[in-house]
Amino acid sequence: MAGDTGEATLAGPAGPLEHGPDASAAVRVRDLTVSFPTPDGPLPAVAGVSLDLARGQITGLVGESGSGKSTLALTLLGAVPAPGQVASGSVVIDDVGDVLALRRPELRQVRGAKIGYVFQASQNSLNPLKPVGKQLLDVGRSHGVRDVRKLLHSARLLIDEMGLDAERVLASYQHELSGGMRQRVGIVLALVLNAHVLILDEPTTALDTLTQASVLEIVRKVHAERHLTTLVISHDMGVVGDLADRMAVMYAGRIVEEGPTAEVLASPKHPYTRGLLTAMPRITGDVAEARPLPGRVPDLASVPRQGCVFRPRCPLATDICATAEPADTVLGGRRFACHVTAGEAA
Amino acid sequence: MTTTAALTPEQLQRAMRRSRQQTASRWRLFVNTPGRIVSCAILVVFTLMAIGGQYLYPANLPIDPDSIYAPPSLAHPLGTDFEGTDTLALVVTGARYVLLAALIAALIAVFIGTAAGLAAGYYPRLGGSAIMQVTDFVLAIPGFPVLLVLSTIWHFSSVLQMGVALGVFGWGGIARAVRAQTLSLRERGFVEAARGLGLPGGHIIRAEVLPNVAPFIGMNLMLQLTGFIYIEVGLFFLGAVPYSTNNWGVMLNNAVFQANAVTSPRALAYLLSPLICILLITLALVTLANAVDEFFNPRLRRV
Amino acid sequence: MIEGQAITRTFASRRGMLGHRGVRALRGVDFTIPDRGAVSFIGESGCGKTTLGRILCGLESFDGGDLIIGDQPMAGLKPRQRAPYHRRIQMIHQDPYSALNPTRTIGQILAAPLALRARQLGADRGWLERRRSELLGLVGLDPDYVLPRYPHMLSGGMRQRVVIARALTVDPEVLVADEAVSMIDVSLRLGILQLLRDLRDAVGVSLLFITHDIATARYVGQGGQLYVIYRGSVAEQGDTDTVIQHPAHPYTQCLLSAIPVMRGIELPGPERVVPTGPLDERSEPRGCLFEPRCPFAEEDCAASPPALTQLGGTKQSHACLHPARRSVVAVPAPVGEA
Repeated sequence: MAGDTGEATLAGPAGPLEHGPDASAAVRVRDLTVSFPTPDGPLPAVAGVSLDLARGQITGLVGESGSGKSTLALTLLGAVPAPGQVASGSVVIDDVGDVLALRRPELRQVRGAKIGYVFQASQNSLNPLKPVGKQLLDVGRSHGVRDVRKLLHSARLLIDEMGLDAERVLASYQHELSGGMRQRVGIVLALVLNAHVLILDEPTTALDTLTQASVLEIVRKVHAERHLTTLVISHDMGVVGDLADRMAVMYAGRIVEEGPTAEVLASPKHPYTRGLLTAMPRITGDVAEARPLPGRVPDLASVPRQGCVFRPRCPLATDICATAEPADTVLGGRRFACHVTAGEAA
Repeated sequence: MTTTAALTPEQLQRAMRRSRQQTASRWRLFVNTPGRIVSCAILVVFTLMAIGGQYLYPANLPIDPDSIYAPPSLAHPLGTDFEGTDTLALVVTGARYVLLAALIAALIAVFIGTAAGLAAGYYPRLGGSAIMQVTDFVLAIPGFPVLLVLSTIWHFSSVLQMGVALGVFGWGGIARAVRAQTLSLRERGFVEAARGLGLPGGHIIRAEVLPNVAPFIGMNLMLQLTGFIYIEVGLFFLGAVPYSTNNWGVMLNNAVFQANAVTSPRALAYLLSPLICILLITLALVTLANAVDEFFNPRLRRV
Repeated sequence: MIEGQAITRTFASRRGMLGHRGVRALRGVDFTIPDRGAVSFIGESGCGKTTLGRILCGLESFDGGDLIIGDQPMAGLKPRQRAPYHRRIQMIHQDPYSALNPTRTIGQILAAPLALRARQLGADRGWLERRRSELLGLVGLDPDYVLPRYPHMLSGGMRQRVVIARALTVDPEVLVADEAVSMIDVSLRLGILQLLRDLRDAVGVSLLFITHDIATARYVGQGGQLYVIYRGSVAEQGDTDTVIQHPAHPYTQCLLSAIPVMRGIELPGPERVVPTGPLDERSEPRGCLFEPRCPFAEEDCAASPPALTQLGGTKQSHACLHPARRSVVAVPAPVGEA
């Protein structure tokens, strides 16, 4: 299977990421497994995920519901949603160490100050009973910020940069702001303590096209100006395809493909990536060539326990796919996990 | 074209098994935690008491002048009252009136309240406000004081009369709550769709709205039951209603005003027995209120 | 055929009286939905497209203009008289979960409207069950799997198919799909879109597709018309593909420019534009509604609202005094260019 093409190599769990992006990545996830208790025993929502967030780059994570992307995102913050538990693995962030090994008070300091997390606008992540300005002060106070005026000043600058009226926004309650404005406020709150890692969970879902474009533009701007390391999580491949320098595709708790965005989209190696691109309604491309993906999006209980998780929906499935989970194939700066396409030329 | 064709046979089998289990286990909701099992047991015991208690003892309980306010003993597990009558017998026979009247009252209140709430909520423009004005009037009536006053002329001599009186004054809360639920359900996608499909209003209220309000009504029924028990017992306790039959409220009245049970330890068992019964029933009803909610609402079940 | 003529709708604002400080959701919209046709309404939230869809289904009333359903104008009729006409237009909601009664099985949900139909036709229970299975098959579901289940046991895509099947129980002429796929997983959306498209041929139903996601309109709106709606009036209309490839109105151009461009497989359109500012819902310009945000606005644009005019020689119309066709939409990248 390996060896036909000079570059492709089959690698075990420790291997691929040493060949891959910058080994001094700002965030290094290694073999992360997060399990949830079910009537059938504990099942992994995130299974053996390894991922690097290259310093100074925007990484995108694409996945549908049930792929585990939200669980992964929250775990990066050390905030595994109950009743999930980290079964194994580590999340090492540059000057913080393994987030999963931190105790609660240290975690609280890290969140906001080192890692900024932006929730979906349509989720009620802003306190409905407090104006935005007060929430900002809460953030400052909980991090022991002494100079409140300076905090407000940097917040005002950030809000101005986003094209909003700072005074008005700080005085508003969350229901007085539109979806786009709430999303922008979320970004401000995430960055106001000068975190160097920014995680955005579905930043444009539920937003209109024009608002979406302006939010993406803001993310780009803020990322460049502050030299951030950014992770964008979305079910919308278009958003990731436009914004991210590198992208990873997640399915049933595993990363099935990862690499520079342009390469992954131009020549996808994993059948799920290919299927998704063909099944996505797009503004370009031949309408007649679009094919839906067969089958259902898997949930915890319906993921196959043996063999490749994508096998039930895969047009290329062969015998080995039923028995053995594919290991990562490394191809230059990319990797993907498929028995069948591992042998293809780049 | 079939989206389900891609499910493997094992997945399909597992899914079908799970769905069968789910429908069978609806009743098991009432016994799936220790608390609920105990609550069910309590309710069963008291229901049996209410139904059959009167047959266990003669119509006129024997008095025993030699053992007035006797402490608990083998012959009288809960002691005796001021006439020497066995307290346990009093508790068992006293259950009937209290529980039956509360049940009748709750059923009446739920029936009137639900009907009023559904009508007012589904037809807000036609007659909805008229119904709500009546509801507000009923709500505003201070039930307990009015019943106290009423009791001077009406002697509530039967369980039915007590139940009706309580129920007729107590439906306001349910009506208001059901109306609010109905108003919000009215805007839900499936109710709009039903209207758009031409389904008649009666069908929509009965088949679309009511099942969704049912968990709420069920819970309210349980809680109303406890409320009515309190009011009843309260009325008897205050001596507002002359008693012809024994019941827990009467026992409390006797215990406090005749035996001075509050100040002397003599008749402690006599005082506490009905109180503990009421407490147990309240606990049981409140615990099972959650189960009732899950019973009606398929989404809440934790399978 | 459904026709809308100068439909107007104003919502009373909570503070003021009707008219004063009311929200003008629709300002005189004309449209036609031909038999077996496909029409898409594109616009941002608040532009009135959802209101228009609800007016068609009879869930909302209109204040001015007229709605003509199959040669019968609705304006003169009382609500009771309108009901049978509106029944010919069925809505597919955005949220497939709230569109189905959670306390009823799929079998019961479909049986209710079919029972009515059975009574009308004098048919028996056997007919009902056959028709029910037939409709489920038409939308790509296995009746044995789906009938005994409750809505929460099905995936979003399957629920939406059930909603479509239910809409078909009354043999409608038009299906109004309001953001019908936006709450469904990406890999399942195409299935629903193709189903809607295929129903045009299979059942002879027309489609009104309401969305802010123009890309999805391409898949159902083939051979159909696209209407771009801005703040309650039509900014541009024409054949779906023509409007997407050669938009003439600056607002359409801004919308198409905003679509994300995927690296490696797409290149940005050469003439992309952005609006000059955010939307101010409270402003009431005397001239063109888009003028405050238009990158190409000229002096006469603020004077009076442009009427819908046809672009010479084509079926495309626009409401702009200075239209210019621009290539703004992304184009496929040539193979090999990463």
